[in-house]
Amino acid sequence: MELKLSKASRSLTPSPIQELSHLAQRCGAINLAEGFPDFSAPPHIKSAAVAAINADLNQYRHVQGICDQLAVMMKQNHGLDVNALTDFVICCGQSEAFAATILATIDQGDEVLLFDPAYETYASCIILAGGIPVNVPLEPPHWTLNVDKFMKSFTSRTKAVVLNSPHNPTGKVFSKEELEAIAAACCQMDCLAITDEVYEYITFDLQKHISLASLPKMQERTIITSSLSKTFSVTGWRIGWACAPSTIASAIRNIHIHVTDSAPSPFQEAALAALQSPPGYFKSLKAEYEARRDFVIQMLSDVGFQISFKPQGSVFVFAELPKNWLVSDIEFVKILIEKAGVAAVPGRGFFHGDIDDQNLRTRYVRFAFCKGSDTLNAAAQKLRDIVGSTGHLQL
Amino acid sequence: MFLRSLPSSSAFRSAARRISAVRMAAISTASEEKGASSAEKEQRHQLPSNPPPLQVAKRLEKFKTTIFTQMSMLAIKHGAINLGQGFPNFDGPEFVKEAAIQAIKEGKNQYARGYGVPELNSAIAARFKKDTGLEVDPEKEVTVTSGCTEAIAATMLGLINPGDEVIIFAPFYDSYEATLSMAGAKIKSITLRPPDFGVPVDELKSAITKNTRAIMINTPHNPTGKMFSREELELIASLCIENDVLVFTDEVYDKLAFEAEHISMGSLPGMYERTVTMNSIGKTFSLTGWKIGWAIAPPHLTWGFRQAHSFLTFATSTPMQWAASVALKAPDTYFEELKKDYSVKKEILVEGLKAAGFIVYPSSGTYFVVVDHTPFGYENDVAFCEYLIREVGVVAIPTSVFYLDPEEGKNLVRFTFCKDEDTLRAAVKRMKERLHKR
Repeated sequence: MELKLSKASRSLTPSPIQELSHLAQRCGAINLAEGFPDFSAPPHIKSAAVAAINADLNQYRHVQGICDQLAVMMKQNHGLDVNALTDFVICCGQSEAFAATILATIDQGDEVLLFDPAYETYASCIILAGGIPVNVPLEPPHWTLNVDKFMKSFTSRTKAVVLNSPHNPTGKVFSKEELEAIAAACCQMDCLAITDEVYEYITFDLQKHISLASLPKMQERTIITSSLSKTFSVTGWRIGWACAPSTIASAIRNIHIHVTDSAPSPFQEAALAALQSPPGYFKSLKAEYEARRDFVIQMLSDVGFQISFKPQGSVFVFAELPKNWLVSDIEFVKILIEKAGVAAVPGRGFFHGDIDDQNLRTRYVRFAFCKGSDTLNAAAQKLRDIVGSTGHLQL
Repeated sequence: MFLRSLPSSSAFRSAARRISAVRMAAISTASEEKGASSAEKEQRHQLPSNPPPLQVAKRLEKFKTTIFTQMSMLAIKHGAINLGQGFPNFDGPEFVKEAAIQAIKEGKNQYARGYGVPELNSAIAARFKKDTGLEVDPEKEVTVTSGCTEAIAATMLGLINPGDEVIIFAPFYDSYEATLSMAGAKIKSITLRPPDFGVPVDELKSAITKNTRAIMINTPHNPTGKMFSREELELIASLCIENDVLVFTDEVYDKLAFEAEHISMGSLPGMYERTVTMNSIGKTFSLTGWKIGWAIAPPHLTWGFRQAHSFLTFATSTPMQWAASVALKAPDTYFEELKKDYSVKKEILVEGLKAAGFIVYPSSGTYFVVVDHTPFGYENDVAFCEYLIREVGVVAIPTSVFYLDPEEGKNLVRFTFCKDEDTLRAAVKRMKERLHKR
């Protein structure tokens, strides 16, 4: 029976990180690990979902209104002209939108460039499709793009570049110059670009999220993926989308139809209400998350972290362990769970390629700040409780 | 979220497939072309005059336009009564809808555990025990997915290697072939033929060999309404055990079994260890748009399934999972009422189709009936369906799209009776009055 398993599944082994997750649960730790909110979704959006269920909108559906509204927002936010009838595929979350995009575009042996550190699912999807993920390391401490190294990563087999901005886990927002370099490379090498923009509305310090597709000559080769999840605090609703030129969107749609066929209908209806939220909603979202970011940075600095890179977007801080803390990321997270009752994610799981200093891969810890003030205050208190006489954590 | 380590890229064998240049226009769905003229679309797109060569995966080369969308568009255009697409025009039960609303209000709106909300996994295991007598571990052997559609995709992508031989029975639900193509499988099709769509024993015996990796069984069967008998399942089982073959079953219509008892392949001796049993709440609870499905499989098969699922959708809609856990605990009376209601609907449709002049094949389960349209003199099923929409104002689905060789299905069309009685009566009336032999 063992031979019945696919080669891929046989090569997977349980990870030490999963064990930490179980430890956190057993200790009832305050969870600054998971990237989803512990506060409520906005009331007007929940009401819309409830109304949809009551209005019998519960069968297979494609809600065209979502596409119409997204097209308006593409124009408003990025100056992009998209066809609402042909250019969108509504999927079960950005997860499915990305998987469908990869399955629609990546063939056996195709190479796909990824910026490292990276959310782990991109590489797994690419491998599932028979593609080869190629990691381009961003350079610490500010996670800058080394254009030279980037260009050298292209081969004749490179099919696409994946860009996640605002970036998980670092919180980096790719600059205009970096986007221009990526765009130039994609055009020169005639590659596709696949973006993950789920944190598009969570940027700080007047940083604007720029969509790669809005750069000259990029729309025709870019597939944008995003979702409701982070913007509207409904990660469990599974409403996302892909936006691409109609011919590519059509291919993605053909895959999607055979993977799930339809995103949950009542939540599609609620998505309309969500996307039509007034500008004030998006402003508050930013302001609240910025305050949380500042709080968590302060909290970490107070116990000895030296945060050299302040996140410009997303809901994460990727904190480097101070050099005099002679513990690895996994050891640190274990101590934090056991001593302070606070959980975070060891950074090593996000690093796939070579980074210049191999040791760096075990020196980062990711903290999520998509949590309510009670949670964050409690976490800060717990950290303060375990500092030593130096005022810093004793490790 | 906590992380797992990744498989190495050398884990996949390369598939030997050739591609002829595929222009996207050949595979775009009809529905997108409504509205804007191509000139308008060109303008809005600002496409360069020489767009880059189409960069689409080889796995799409066999994809056809989805027939359901095509027919639906035509139906809307002609104001036809839609007995084509398989979803109800009535809604699900209040107690299930209420449960979803409660879950939303209680804040159950964030990521669920990837393989399912524990209460739902337990409810699925309990239901499976009630239906089959089998005890399964909800934590290790049940995985929740976005509908049975995703369960099928995760099974094919998670358990089938490129080049593996997989057997399906024609006519088949179109996503089996599509996902097998995506997985790079070699598809072998065995045709079920009217009038009883029985499994052809000799053909089956020569088809299942040591080279077979898996066989896909849909019972009760869409589109024919056939239910695999105990004898048929036992024969397939013995061949699978002898040749070490996996079985994937799609049992979404299991609660719509009218003329025969529904049997789960996993409950036959020696079969659970090699079977992936898939189901969903969509048809049983008339909530096809909620997308709550699942797979039950032994741990060594669940592992590969869960890997694919985690990359395809990562997690399933949380509030609907809570509602599904309530739905699955519905009392026996719910299921008895469901069958009674559907039996009445079936009677209306079948009587009407016979009176209108079709050759009607008996359907034991599902909410579908297939009929032979040839008495009306059209050259194939697509032509007949187009005539039916335009001149009679009723939609049926041409079944040729459910075969590897469309010729095999050209005499048959599929009607559904998952519509309220008034709709069914109106459709029957139109057919009796307007259907003419050519």
